[in-house]
Amino acid sequence: MKSLSLAALVAAFAAGPAFAHVTLETQQAPVGSTYKAVLRVPHGCKGAATTNVRVRIPEGVIAVKPMPKPGWALETTKGKYEKSYDYYGTPTAEGVTEVSWSGGKLLDEHYDEFVLRAYLTADLKPETTLYVPVVQECEGGATERWIEIPAAGKAADDYKFPAPGLKLTPKK
Amino acid sequence: MTRQLRLILVLLGLALASLATAGQALAHAALTKTVPADGAVVASAPGEFSLSFSEPVAPLVLNLIGPDGTSRALTRFALADRTLTIIAPADLAHGTHILSWRVVSEDGHPVGGSVLFSVGAPSAAPAITANQTEPAVRIALWLGKLGLYLGLALGIGGVAFMVWIAPIPATARRPIAGFLVLGLLSLPVAFAAQGLDALALPLSGALEPAAWQAAAASSFGRTALVVGLALLVALIALRMPDQSGRLVAILGWLGAGTALAASGHASAAEPQMLTRPAVFLHAVGMAGWAGALLPLAFGLRQPEGVQALRRFSRRIPALLLAIVLSGLALAIVQVEHPQALLTTPYGLVLTGKLVLVAMLIGLGAFNRYRLTPAAASGRASARPLLTRIIAAEIAIIVAILAVVALWRFTPPPRALAAAAAQPATVHIHTDKAMADISVTPGRTGPVTITVSLLDGQFGSLAAKELRLALSRPEAGIEPIERQAAKQADGSWQVGNLTLPVAGRWTIELEILVSDFEMTRLKDTLDIRP
Repeated sequence: MKSLSLAALVAAFAAGPAFAHVTLETQQAPVGSTYKAVLRVPHGCKGAATTNVRVRIPEGVIAVKPMPKPGWALETTKGKYEKSYDYYGTPTAEGVTEVSWSGGKLLDEHYDEFVLRAYLTADLKPETTLYVPVVQECEGGATERWIEIPAAGKAADDYKFPAPGLKLTPKK
Repeated sequence: MTRQLRLILVLLGLALASLATAGQALAHAALTKTVPADGAVVASAPGEFSLSFSEPVAPLVLNLIGPDGTSRALTRFALADRTLTIIAPADLAHGTHILSWRVVSEDGHPVGGSVLFSVGAPSAAPAITANQTEPAVRIALWLGKLGLYLGLALGIGGVAFMVWIAPIPATARRPIAGFLVLGLLSLPVAFAAQGLDALALPLSGALEPAAWQAAAASSFGRTALVVGLALLVALIALRMPDQSGRLVAILGWLGAGTALAASGHASAAEPQMLTRPAVFLHAVGMAGWAGALLPLAFGLRQPEGVQALRRFSRRIPALLLAIVLSGLALAIVQVEHPQALLTTPYGLVLTGKLVLVAMLIGLGAFNRYRLTPAAASGRASARPLLTRIIAAEIAIIVAILAVVALWRFTPPPRALAAAAAQPATVHIHTDKAMADISVTPGRTGPVTITVSLLDGQFGSLAAKELRLALSRPEAGIEPIERQAAKQADGSWQVGNLTLPVAGRWTIELEILVSDFEMTRLKDTLDIRP
C-alpha cells in the first residue's frame, strides 16, 4: 500500500514531455505577427490509427497557409470572417476557416506533426489564450475531439478534451 | 544525505518541474478496453478484472460497489505494460456491480471512470415498501371507515328502501337511524385518523390541529363533507312523511354515491371518465341492495311484508347488474393482471371480498327462487326462514364492508406501479443550453434516461452527439459514461443501464453542438432506493 501511494505521488508530479493531447509546439506568440503552428499528434484514438486531422481556424486568425504532407490529402474550407481584418494594409474579410489533412495513416505507436502558417491579427486580445479546436478522426470511425474551450476561471486541465491553446502576448 | 532528505529533494524537483509545465495542456490516459466490458452481463463471477489504458498509469483508488450498495477497496492488483489487472473478491453477489477506478498517468493528470457489469443478470428493482403508521392509528382508521361504510350501506341504503321498494316498516326505523348515527359518530374518528396517518403521528396526536388540517387538505376532506351531509339528509328523510320523505331520501342516496366517488384509490384511477361514474354506481347500487335487507327482514314479521319482498325480487336484478358491471370495470383498472389477485395485498382483499359476495349472491338467489315464491303462496314456514337468512346476509354485508375497509391500507397494484415508475428529473439551464433529464423509474435497478435539449433561448438545439456521465463522488463512484441515442422525436435516450445505488447522483451532459463545439451541463438528481 505504501509503495502504491509513493508511486502515485511520483507519477502525479512527473509531468513529462509525453503529451497525450494534440498540442501546439510553440505556445506563446505576439499578436500582429505571423505564427507557425506545429500541431503535435502523440497518439491515435484509444489505440486506433489516425486517418484525418481537422483544424478549425479561430476568428482573428487570417492568411492561413497549411503545409502539404506526403501521403495526406490537404484540403481547406473557405468562408467569411465575422469582420474585416487588416493584413499589412489589405482589408481581409474572408479566407480559410478549416484545414484538413486526410487519407493518411498515423499509427497509435507513431508520432507526427501537422504544420500551418497564419497571421495573428492585431485585433486579437493580448494576455488571453487563443484556442485552436482540432478533431482527430481514426480508423474504425473513432474520433477524438480536442475542442473544449475552458470557461472563465477554468484551466484546460479541468477538461477532458481541451483544445490546443496559444498564449497571446502584446504586439512587438 | 539521509534517505528522507533525498526523497524530499526529489519530490521538490518534481513539483518544480510540474509547475514549469503548468498552463500547457496536459495529457490524460484514456481507457481503451475493460474485462468485463462496460455494461456486460457475465454468467459467473469473474476472478479478475482488467483495465487497459492508452498509456502507462498508476492506480490511485480502486473501488468495487456491490448490488447492495456497499463499497470495498480493491488492493490486490498488478500492472503490466498499460494494463491493470485486479484480483476480484471471491464472493461477488449476483446483480450489478460498479468497478470504480481512478488512475494517474505519467503526465500527472488523474482520471477516473466506472465500469458497470452484472453477474448472472442486472439487479432488479427492489420491492416496494409502504410507509408504516402506528397500529393504533391504523385500527382507528379501519374502525372509522367501517363505521362510515355501515352508515352508508345500512343507514342511507335503508332510507333508500322507501325510494325504490316500499314505505319503511315502523319497527325498522330505529335500527336504520342507529346506523345513520353510527356513521355520523365514525366521521370524526375516520377524519382524525386520516390526518394522523398522513402525518405519521401517533394516536395521541389526534387532538393536534395539524392532524385535522392534514385530513381536510386530503381528498378525504371532500368525502367526509359529503358523507356527513348525506347522513344528515337521510336522518331527516327518515322522520318525514312517506311522500315527501322519498324525495329527500333520493338526495341522501345519491349523496352516498357522490361521497365515495369523491376520494379513494378507485376514484383517483385513470380513466376518470370511467372510474368516477363506476364508483358512484357501485356505491349507490351497493347501498340500495344492502340497505333493503333491514326493512325487508322487519317487514316480514307481518304477512304484508311479502308484498315488499316480491317487489324487491323483481327489481334487484337491474341493481345487481349495475353493481357487478361497475365493480368489474374498477377491478380491471386497479388490478391490471389477474395474478395480482393472489400476489398483492390489494388483490387478496378483493379476492376475500369476492368470496363473500359470491356467498351473498348464493343466499340471495336461494331466497329469490325458492323462498320468495313459497312465502308468496302463503306457506307459513317460509317467512321465519327468510328472516333468518336475511339476517345472515346482513352479517355477510358487515363482513364485506369490514374487508373493504382494509383497502385503505393496501394501495392497488396500479398505484404501486405508478409510484414506483415515477421518474427522477432535473432541469439544467445555462446561457448556452438547456436540458430536461428524466431517469425512469427514478429508483435503483434498470433505468432509462431521456434527455430533451434546447438552446439557452428555448430554441431547438440540434446536437450531433450526446454523452452522459453519472457519478456519485461521495460514494466513491467515478463517472459511468454512456452514449445517448437520438430518438425519432428529437430527444436522446440511454437504455440498458442499471443503477445499483440510491442517493444523490451527479449527471453531466457532454453535448457536441457541431464538429468543433462542445457544451457541458452538470447537475444532481436523487435516485430512490
